[in-house]
Amino acid sequence: MLVGLLTAAQLTASLYLVKNNALESAFQLVIDKLSCFMFLLINVISGIIAVFSLKYIDEEDCSEFRKKYFLSILLWFIAVMNLLVSSDNLEYFFLFFELTTLASFLLIAFRKDDTSVKNALTALWMNQIGGLAILGAIFFIKYNGHGEITLSNLLRHSSTGTVLMPLTLLSIAALIKGAQMPFSKWLLGAMVAPTPVSALLHSSTMVKIAPFMILRLSPALKDTPIAWIIIGLTSFVFAASAIVALSQDNFKRILAHSTIALLALMIMMGVVGTPVTVIAGLTLILFHGISKCMLFLNAGVMERVFHFKQTSDMDRLAESGPFTSLVLTFGFMSLLLPPFGAFIGKWFSIETIGALASNERITGALVIVMIALGGAVFSLLYFKVLGLLIARTGVKDRFRFEKESPFYTVTIFSLLALIIGGVLGLPFLMTGYFSPVASDILNTSVATRIEEWAIHVESMKLPIVPMLVAFLLLPTAIAIGMFVKFKNVDRVKEYTCGEKIDYSFSALYFSTDKATPYLTAVGILLFAAMVIVASLI
Amino acid sequence: MDLIIKIAFIILAPLIGGLVYGVERITRARMQRRIGPPLLQPFYDVLKLTDKRKMIVHSTHAFLGIVHCLSLWFALAVLVLGGDLILVIFLHLSSTALLILAGYSTRSLFSHLGANRTAISILTYEPILILIAVSVFMQTGSFETASIFYFGKPLLLKLPLAFVALLLILPIKLKKSPFDVAEAHQEIIGGVELEFSGIFYEAVYTAKWLDEIFCYTLVYLFGANNPALGLSLVLGAFVFLNALDNSSARVSYKQMLRFSLTVALPVAFINLLLSILQHTA
Repeated sequence: MLVGLLTAAQLTASLYLVKNNALESAFQLVIDKLSCFMFLLINVISGIIAVFSLKYIDEEDCSEFRKKYFLSILLWFIAVMNLLVSSDNLEYFFLFFELTTLASFLLIAFRKDDTSVKNALTALWMNQIGGLAILGAIFFIKYNGHGEITLSNLLRHSSTGTVLMPLTLLSIAALIKGAQMPFSKWLLGAMVAPTPVSALLHSSTMVKIAPFMILRLSPALKDTPIAWIIIGLTSFVFAASAIVALSQDNFKRILAHSTIALLALMIMMGVVGTPVTVIAGLTLILFHGISKCMLFLNAGVMERVFHFKQTSDMDRLAESGPFTSLVLTFGFMSLLLPPFGAFIGKWFSIETIGALASNERITGALVIVMIALGGAVFSLLYFKVLGLLIARTGVKDRFRFEKESPFYTVTIFSLLALIIGGVLGLPFLMTGYFSPVASDILNTSVATRIEEWAIHVESMKLPIVPMLVAFLLLPTAIAIGMFVKFKNVDRVKEYTCGEKIDYSFSALYFSTDKATPYLTAVGILLFAAMVIVASLI
Repeated sequence: MDLIIKIAFIILAPLIGGLVYGVERITRARMQRRIGPPLLQPFYDVLKLTDKRKMIVHSTHAFLGIVHCLSLWFALAVLVLGGDLILVIFLHLSSTALLILAGYSTRSLFSHLGANRTAISILTYEPILILIAVSVFMQTGSFETASIFYFGKPLLLKLPLAFVALLLILPIKLKKSPFDVAEAHQEIIGGVELEFSGIFYEAVYTAKWLDEIFCYTLVYLFGANNPALGLSLVLGAFVFLNALDNSSARVSYKQMLRFSLTVALPVAFINLLLSILQHTA
């Protein structure tokens, strides 16, 4: 019903626009450094996912035709994403935006059961609102007389006041794609799809449209009142999704909440729009993509090989699947702790928001509290999942990595290599990769250099030596810890006060899901505030 | 010269930590009108531990305990050598992470309970430390601790509320009563520490001393440009913590969480707001 209404609205709006538009001269695809950055992310990560899904979908209980159908939609989705990040004309942008919505609808509904269809429809109508917002933006550009409906043209007019409304509408479209509250439901519902789809939606495609769009618009959005509302909204989402995640048991849902939170952080970095934050945003986009992809593919392995989806079932994983458990531990660490990329993004964000707080006093202070609190809640969340992952008895001190299908092992190993390579190559990535992209986005040169064992990004200083030592202490030590064996040491059983009792483990939960309606309400209020402020100015 | 003192301090940190722990045990005993152990008792403990029969649950567990100690030492080194405060906080977090992982890595009841509670206590102190770091940045214009050493005035006068917030969370961090739920000997038999023994417990034991040094260094930063003030702050915090430890009963982890989120966090937040206002004025 809702879907039908929205489709009708979109159809009318686009017909109206087509009728009133002179034919645009060229097929406007523009490939700049940001597009190239996205190409690399989309194609490498999605390529790995595609290889993984060859095996995954083969084990799915469905007909041969459906399997081929699944793979072709997957590849089509990746192709559309590539076109989307390179389109400059907003009409094409709208087309590809809606095609990704359609593709994700088809993929989420793939299993054809009731929940799948219901959740797929949710995803469809929510993202259609985003599409409608883009059409609205095109409408406003046309009728405020800004000429061409291209993103680059919009950015050229960024100083005029009437451009604010289209900017707001485009940001709303981005925030919906990025599953920010109150639109987070579609991403959480998307979990019913086969796991490669979740991996695709979360890491390299779909939700990454959000930070991409915001980064594109960031020179125009910067310092507008809308920007401050978006910063407020995203910092709220960061903390709120962390708190809601504490009540979750489903492994993929926990990952989904952490995606929403990190997306909020990326969007915030894009909106703030200083060189350091743009680089932080790019770092987060890249490393979040790799880490999340690896975590989701492992969730797929757990489903297929070990047959469980809930975290509470995972407490034997360290004994039955030490490799999966080790890799998952890595993945979670890489979202939180030094020396990994996601940590660097968070670090940059705290320090730059700190620097900005001197302008926007109370908002700035609140944003910092939200980031600090959300970050701490996430560490609690990750640790409780890790706790179930790595528990084992001392009976089997010598263990072997489990054998899995080469499709699984190769894809996961290549992602692992990307994460580690990313950490070790960070100085070069910063100067040779993120910094040119950032200066292209902002149209100013961004000064990054390596000096005295530190990477300097504008005023930020990123010391290399502590990061290297952290690398030795954290990921390396955990990997060694799995293999190390102490000789001439006696083994004992765990202490249970001398009693012989049976017990099982479970993680701690907080019943925070009761808060969801209130959090959604705050989200809706903030979205409404955006539209109202934009129409008043 | 300055650098040599700092490096010497870092290298000798475990020894100094042991001495501090010895003094602490005497102070606590005197507060209870006991004589207490000799000053060097912690080191006698070490000798005793090295001599014990070596027993472990499994190698990963024992190994993570050792890495926990090393990484805490490293975090302390970055702090003392003037590193970035946010980086230091996260390095400290990763060393705690290793301890939590060690706790979870066995299938031991008490170890798991302790690890759960340690993870919750991260939630109670980490946001406050970050807020304090940002307030410090508002004053000195840099996140590096080195800038605090060369800052004209003592931070205590500029950020009195930040100091209060730090004092409120130190008992949580150092596992002192009333916030010693993570360790709670009478209840969960030491929590994470339980499954370590002999020479491997030694690593965790030393890490506790290092943690004390880490916390007192944070206290010292509030008077860093004036060593006399800094040291008296450390002394004051030391007496406060031990008096509190002796005079209060343990609260549950929920009460601890509530206290931190409703008392300590607002204090840190008000402090941040004030320092932002000062900064712009």
